[in-house]
Amino acid sequence: MTDTMVRPEAAPAALDAADRAALVDSVRRLLADRCTEADVRRIMDSESGHDAALWRALVDLGVVGLTVPEEHGGAGLGPVELELVMEEAGAALLPAPLISTAMASVLFNGERLAKIADGSTIAAVAFVGAYDWTGRSDVRVAGDRLTGTARFVPDAAIANLIVVAGEDGVFVVERCDVTITPLPVFDRTRRMADVAFNGPATRIGDSARVAAARDIGIVALAGEQAGGVRRMLERTVAYATERHQFGRAIGSFQAIKHMAADLLLESESATSAARDAARQLTEGSQTKDAAIALAAFACADAFVRVAKDGIQMHGGIAFTWTNPAHLYLRRARSGAQLLGDGNQWRERYIQALEAQA
Amino acid sequence: MSSGITEDALRAEVEAWLADNWTGLPAHHESFGRDPRSEWLAKVRDGGWATPRWDAEWHGRGLSNDQAKIVERAFAAVGAPGAGQDRSNLWANTALAHATDSFKRTIVSQLLAGEVGMCLLYSEPGAGSDLAAVRTRADKVEGGWRVTGQKVWTSGAAVADYGMLIARTDWDVPKHRGISFFFLPMKQEGVEVRPLRQITNESHFNEVFITDAFVPEENLLGPLNGGWAVLQTALAYERSVMGDAARGPRSGAGGPKGDYSLLGLAQEAGRLDDPLVRQDVAQVIAWRVLNKLNTQRAKADMAQGTSSPIMSLGKLAMSRILHEEARVRTMLLGPESLLEGPDHPRAEDANFLSLNAYFTSIGGGTDQIQRNIIGERVLGLPKEPEVDRTIPFRDVRAG
Ligand SMILES: Cc1cc2nc3c(=O)[nH]c(=O)nc-3n(C[C@H](O)[C@H](O)[C@H](O)COP(=O)(O)OP(=O)(O)OC[C@H]3O[C@@H](n4cnc5c(N)ncnc54)[C@H](O)[C@@H]3O)c2cc1C
Repeated sequence: MTDTMVRPEAAPAALDAADRAALVDSVRRLLADRCTEADVRRIMDSESGHDAALWRALVDLGVVGLTVPEEHGGAGLGPVELELVMEEAGAALLPAPLISTAMASVLFNGERLAKIADGSTIAAVAFVGAYDWTGRSDVRVAGDRLTGTARFVPDAAIANLIVVAGEDGVFVVERCDVTITPLPVFDRTRRMADVAFNGPATRIGDSARVAAARDIGIVALAGEQAGGVRRMLERTVAYATERHQFGRAIGSFQAIKHMAADLLLESESATSAARDAARQLTEGSQTKDAAIALAAFACADAFVRVAKDGIQMHGGIAFTWTNPAHLYLRRARSGAQLLGDGNQWRERYIQALEAQA
Repeated sequence: MSSGITEDALRAEVEAWLADNWTGLPAHHESFGRDPRSEWLAKVRDGGWATPRWDAEWHGRGLSNDQAKIVERAFAAVGAPGAGQDRSNLWANTALAHATDSFKRTIVSQLLAGEVGMCLLYSEPGAGSDLAAVRTRADKVEGGWRVTGQKVWTSGAAVADYGMLIARTDWDVPKHRGISFFFLPMKQEGVEVRPLRQITNESHFNEVFITDAFVPEENLLGPLNGGWAVLQTALAYERSVMGDAARGPRSGAGGPKGDYSLLGLAQEAGRLDDPLVRQDVAQVIAWRVLNKLNTQRAKADMAQGTSSPIMSLGKLAMSRILHEEARVRTMLLGPESLLEGPDHPRAEDANFLSLNAYFTSIGGGTDQIQRNIIGERVLGLPKEPEVDRTIPFRDVRAG
């Protein structure tokens, strides 16, 4: 495990509480307008799964370049703000390559950063070697060439740059130099592709930032999951209040009410875990590895459980394609694999605790 | 309200005070009755550190929440107890919010120093989860009330000076509207306490038989017949305390190496390289940490001094943590968990935990009732229909 490698501190958060609330509010308003359920379905049914106009709106709002330093045209913010924005994105099921972008921002320097912030580059990140969370990739470095295939690379099909990150260093490869095979994914709001390499690659850094990129990816993903959990629970509670059977709202039945109470505990815990991981990453605290591992599995588990039980509590209506509940379950299931599954992260968690003890 | 003192000055003052006064205390395991540390606690109170957020009138300093935390951290840093009771002391908070002025004068300072033993006279044989069904009666007499009835599961009653009592004062209105809340003096004829043996083989809780016991007028908390609302504040405090912490190991020491942590136990048991064990251990520790993070968030969100409904999640979380931790400890010990006694402190701790976990999942309102409360008050789901909510209590069926 290369987790103990020295890595640069993450950028400090720069906003006070009021500015932070304003940022979150502006993202929420944009998504309420541009990322309705109908939009999500339209994008999900499209060939690419990507909406360039929506992406442009996110660029203009500063969301895409959120963690890009100001001198490169970004907002210069840190993990705390990223996490909060991702809560909104997750609640709305936003289908956009924000997690990939956040990870690439950590791996890039100079001009490449500016192109992320202005929206002209979309980068997909393939973790390989010791960082390969799929256990199925076989990418090799030989001089300045890469060979082999990276599997399940999120957003690869719409990316114009592929970033390969592992213990041998960080490389970028132009889209035209790889073979991209889109995968038939279960969650159509999060596209993935296999990427086959057999050609030149540009080394842009050593392995020092790879773990940092994964950490920021986890913080973004955990935030997305915490937001998804909260929205799914809200929807379920609202439905349980409206839907009547046996002359009563179903939410007045204990079997339903008690499930809802347990789900609230999941939801609040996910939010706590995601925000704590973001805070600790921002502060570069001694215990951040544990906090990130905790967020990785706690938020994923919470989202799967809330989406799953939420469907049960809805009854037959949620078994239909037109009800959005399954979109949340799909998102929860895809997130629970992305960047490593729960067992991997629980194992990392206990390793981090052992290292602290 | 926040006092004008700077953070640095406050920190310097509290640290200097601790340096002058704190010399440590012998370990103790008493959770009921007069506090054996009361001499120290009285000093803390008189120094203004017990309740830093409250006004000077109530031994406080009118500090803001952030300032008060400086005080609490300084105490925690040296391991001194007693600071921050304006958040944690159920009795003093209830008294301060609802007692008559004359009673408050004496009781609040005694409570802060742990000079009086306290118990909760709520549950009755026929009124457990349904506390509004209490049948213990308080009838008006000259200068106060006469109380008659039976209470049960009363923790600490044998060593208590006062019991926070709910009793029925009006039988002709629906059940929630005829209840009053009192501080009943326990050391009097007419209050008989009989210990009950618990599943842990301890006897902290008791039956209490009350026959014509007297409670003076000034010991009424809140309005006459308005006891239900007082009880709600008191219960919210109790539950938030139960969600924050639970009793540790029974062995006191925590085994040979003095390390009570689950990780320590797994290590000692030589099971820390079993991947399935690692998953279980990680999960239990994670739940504990998540509960702490939730509580921190709830406290940060909470308007000062009031209880937050989100706090009711903590008790439910804690009961899951305790039951699951007991399971994992037992699994780690294997057949050793079949033993008990001083030579097997690890087994004692695991077995005690598996039984005592019910303290949290039943005491202070069961997990089921907690879920009702969370569902209805936090999530706003429709209430369970209650057949006896509107009829005079006299006509309610009991059993
Ligand atoms: C260790 C311990 C210490 C205690 N200390 C004190 C004390 O100091 N003072 C005091 O006053 N009391 C004390 N109690 C009492 C405690 O508050 C009650 O035991 C508890 O409220 C449950 O009441 P009950 O035992 O009558 O169970 P019941 O109310 O009879 O409940 C039995 C079962 O039915 C379920 N149930 C009941 N009603 C509902 C409902 N509406 N919805 C769903 N499920 C329901 C319960 O969850 C439980 O599973 C203590 C209890 C314990 C275990």
